[in-house]
Amino acid sequence: MTLSTAKGARAAPARLTERDLRGLVFTAEMYGVQLDLLAGLLDLPPAGAGRVAARWRRIGYADTARIGPGRPWVWLTRRGLTACGLRYPAVPPALSRLAHLRAVAAVRLALESASGYRQAEGYWRSERKLRARMGGRVGLREHIPDAEIHFPNGRGVPYAGECWAVEAELTRKTVTRTAAIMRELLARTADYGSPAAEAAVPGRPPRHARVLYLCSPAARPTVARAAGTLGAMAPRIEIRDLPPAAALDGLGRS
Amino acid sequence: MITRYLTLVALRGAVRLAGRLLRAAVIAAALVAALPVSLVAGYSAALAWLLGWPPRRLYGAALWCLPMVAVWLAWTGLRAPSGGALAAIATAPYHAWLSMWHLGAAGSVAAAAVTIAPAAIPLGLVAGGLAWSYRISSMRAGTGGLTPGSPVVFDLRQWRHQVRTARARIAAPGSVPLTTPAGGVVAGAVIRAVGHPQRPVAVLPYARLRSHQVVIGTTGTGKTTLLLRLWAGFMATALRRHAAGAGGRPLLVVLDCKGGGDSRRVADRARRVLRDAGARATAVWPDEASLSIWDLPPGRLVTTLLDLIEHGSGPAAYYADVMEAVVSLAAGAPAGPPRSTADFLARLDPGWLAAAYRTGRHDSELALIGSAARQVPDVALRFRALFRRLGPGLDGPGSFADADVWYCILEGTAEIAVAEAQARTLVDLLASYVAHGAGRPGGSAPEVLLAVDEFSAVSRRLPVWQLYERARSLGLAVQVSAQSWQGLAGDESERLRIAASADGGIWLLRTPHPDPVVALAGNRPVIDTTRRLMGAALWSDEGSSRLRHTPVLDPDIVRALDVGQVAYIHRGAVTFVQVKRLVAAPAALAPPAASGRPGWQAAVMPASLPGPAEPAGPAVPPDAGPPSAAGPGGSPVLPDAGPLLDEAFGPESR
Repeated sequence: MTLSTAKGARAAPARLTERDLRGLVFTAEMYGVQLDLLAGLLDLPPAGAGRVAARWRRIGYADTARIGPGRPWVWLTRRGLTACGLRYPAVPPALSRLAHLRAVAAVRLALESASGYRQAEGYWRSERKLRARMGGRVGLREHIPDAEIHFPNGRGVPYAGECWAVEAELTRKTVTRTAAIMRELLARTADYGSPAAEAAVPGRPPRHARVLYLCSPAARPTVARAAGTLGAMAPRIEIRDLPPAAALDGLGRS
Repeated sequence: MITRYLTLVALRGAVRLAGRLLRAAVIAAALVAALPVSLVAGYSAALAWLLGWPPRRLYGAALWCLPMVAVWLAWTGLRAPSGGALAAIATAPYHAWLSMWHLGAAGSVAAAAVTIAPAAIPLGLVAGGLAWSYRISSMRAGTGGLTPGSPVVFDLRQWRHQVRTARARIAAPGSVPLTTPAGGVVAGAVIRAVGHPQRPVAVLPYARLRSHQVVIGTTGTGKTTLLLRLWAGFMATALRRHAAGAGGRPLLVVLDCKGGGDSRRVADRARRVLRDAGARATAVWPDEASLSIWDLPPGRLVTTLLDLIEHGSGPAAYYADVMEAVVSLAAGAPAGPPRSTADFLARLDPGWLAAAYRTGRHDSELALIGSAARQVPDVALRFRALFRRLGPGLDGPGSFADADVWYCILEGTAEIAVAEAQARTLVDLLASYVAHGAGRPGGSAPEVLLAVDEFSAVSRRLPVWQLYERARSLGLAVQVSAQSWQGLAGDESERLRIAASADGGIWLLRTPHPDPVVALAGNRPVIDTTRRLMGAALWSDEGSSRLRHTPVLDPDIVRALDVGQVAYIHRGAVTFVQVKRLVAAPAALAPPAASGRPGWQAAVMPASLPGPAEPAGPAVPPDAGPPSAAGPGGSPVLPDAGPLLDEAFGPESR
C-alpha cells in the first residue's frame, strides 16, 4: 500500500471549478471513491481524474492512496470536508468496506447517469449522511440503508414523491436476516436521527415506498427468497443486479 | 454506721473509677503503641460504618493484602544474612515497628508509613473488622449504645448507609452486569442480607429462574423493572447455554392479564430490553401476532374448544354432551382436523358432517350425526359467537416457535370472560407446544419461562395451582406476579400453595400487607438483652440475655421499601436488593400498519399457509404525486419504476 500524504499542503484558498465541487461532495458523501469511478463522475479519462485528485491533495482537501485492488482511492481530509461544509469525521475508507463502498458508488453513478433519474431530479442521500444525522446513536441495532433516494413531487415521473431505500448486497446473508432488514426498512416511518419511538409507528405511512436491492450473483438468490417471505410487502422490494463497475477488482484495473 | 457505709460506697466507687481509668489508660497506650494498626483499624471501621459494609468485607480486604505481605517477608528474608532468614522473617513486624518509630522521630513520616504499611494494613483491617463486628453484634443484642434507643437508631442509620451504597453501586457503569460468567443472573446491588451471604451484587443462579417464583409488589414499586431484568437475565443466560449445547432454546411467555394501554407500554419496553438480551423476536399477542388454536392435537383441540364454552348444570348437561359429540365429529373428521375458524364453523353443519363421514366405514358416526342434526346449528351458533368475541388472535397463523418471547396481553380488566377463555387456550397451546414440539426447530425441548401477571383475574377456567401442576409436569418454570398477596390467587389456601411451592424464591416489593410472606420466610434466633435503666436515659451494665426468635424478614422494612428495592426470600433467608434498571435500546420496530400482519410473522409464516386478508395501506407517502391504483386484494400497486431501473441497471434478470 502506498500512501501519499497532504503534508506541506498550501494554505492559500483554492480556486475550484464546478466540477471540483461536484467531485469533492460526491467523494465526501461516499466516504471515498476510486479514481476510475471519479473519472466516470467527472467525465474525464482516468489520467485526468488522477490529476484532479492530485490537485485536491496539493491544496490539502484530499488524500490519495492505493489501499486496495485496482486504482487508487481518494478521500477528503478534514480541510476538504470543512470546505464542503460537511461535518463528517475525516478518516480514510475502511479497508474492510472497500468493496461495499465501491459497489454503492457504482450504483449511484449508474442511477445518476440514467435519464429517468435526471428527469425525476432524484436526490441521493448517502449512508454517511444518514449516519451523521443519527449522531452518537449510531451503533445501535437499527439498520441503516446504503442510501436513500428522494424523488421530489411534480416531476412527471410515476414514482415522484417517493423515498426509496437502497441496499447493495455483495455477500450472502441468511434469509432470515435479510428479510428482517427488509421488513425494518419497509416498516420505518421516520427519518434517521428522529426519536427512536417514532422509528416505526403503526398507522403512519411508511418512509420508504420501496427498497431497491442491487445484488451480486452470489447474493441474489438469498435476497429473492427473503423478499418472497414478505407476503404483501414483497412488491415493494425491487431487485436488480449490481452494475459491472461495482466489482472492486474489475474496472479498477483499467 | 451510716458514715461507715457511705465511706464504703465512696471507696467502692473510687476503686471502680480507678479501674476504669486504668483500663482506659492501658487501651490508650496500646492504641498509641500500635498507632499504624489503630489508624487503619479506625479508618476501616469508620468506612464500614459509613458505607454499611459487613465485617467480612474488611476481612476480605485483609486477605487481598496477603500477596503484599508475602513479598515483603520474602524480601526481608532475602536481605537477611545467610542462616538468619527465618529469624528475620519472624521478627520483621517488630523491626518494622521499631524502624517506623525511629523514622517518625527523625521526621521522615512518609518513610515511616511505607516501612510499617505491609504489616499495619492487613492487621488494621482485621482489627477494624473485629471492632465493627463487635459493634454490630452488640447493637443487635441490645447491649451496645449509651441510650435505650441506640440499637434502633443504629439499625435505621445502617439501612440508610446500605441503601446509599447499593444505589451508588448500581449507578456505577459496569458494576452490575446482567449476567455473570458462571451463568448467574444479577438482579442488582445487595442492600442487606439476613441469612444469605452478603455480597456486593445479588446473583441468582440460573436454576432458580427455571423454578417457580413469586413476585409481589404494588404499582409504582419497581415490579416491572424487576420482572424485565429477570426476563432479560433468563433470556441472555439461556441463550448462552443453548449456544454452548447445555440446554434447549429459551422461550419466554408472558401472560399480562391486566390489559389496556399500560400493558402495551410494558410490552414495548420488554421487546426492547429482551432484544438487547439476545431475543431475536418478540411477538406481542394479539396486537401484532397470532397463534393457532388449530395446531392443537385433535383430542386436545376438542377439550379446549369445549372448555371455552360455558356449560350449565342439570338438564344443560345434556346439551354439553351433544356439543362434545358434535365438536368431536367436526374436529376428528376423516378429512383431517380443521385448519381455521372458518373451516371449523363450516364443519358444524349436518350436511358437511354427513358428507365427511360417508366413507362406508363410519356408520356409527353417521348415526350420531343423524340424531344430533337438530342441535348442530345451535352448537355452530355458540361457537360463532365465541370466536367473534375471541378475535383473530387464536386463529393463526403462528406458533410459539416463531419468536423467543411471546408477550400476551389479556384484557382481564375490560373483558374478563374473553380473557379467561384466552388464558385457558394460551396455556393449552403452550402445553401442547412443549409436550409435542410442533413446529419446533430441531425438536429439542425448549427451556420455557411462563410469567403470569395478575393471573388470578382470569383464572376461573384454569386455577393457578392447576397451572402450576401442569407446568411442573411439563418442565416449565412459572413466575407468578401480583400487586398484592390477595392477587396471587382466589383463596387463601391456593395462595399459600403457590407461595410454598416457589422453589425459586419470592420477590417482595413494597406492600402494605407482607405478613403472609413474612410468616413463610420463617424466623431466626437472636439474643434479646434486657438492661437496667439508671434513672436518666442511660443504661447500666447490668442485665440479662435470652434467646428468642424473630422474623427473618422485617415486615416494617418491607412496608417502607423504596422504589426499586425488593426483598428476595429463599430458603428461610432474605436479601434486600436495589434492582438495577435495564436501559432499553430505542423503540423496537413495530410491524407495519399497512400490512395488517406483523412483519416478523410474515417472515416466519410459510408461504403456503393462507393468511388473513391484507388490508389496504399506504405504501407511499401521502404526498406522493400520482395516486396509486389499488390491486385486486386491496393492496396498493406501486407505480412502475421498471424503466428507470432498466435504464440504470439493465433489464431485470430472473
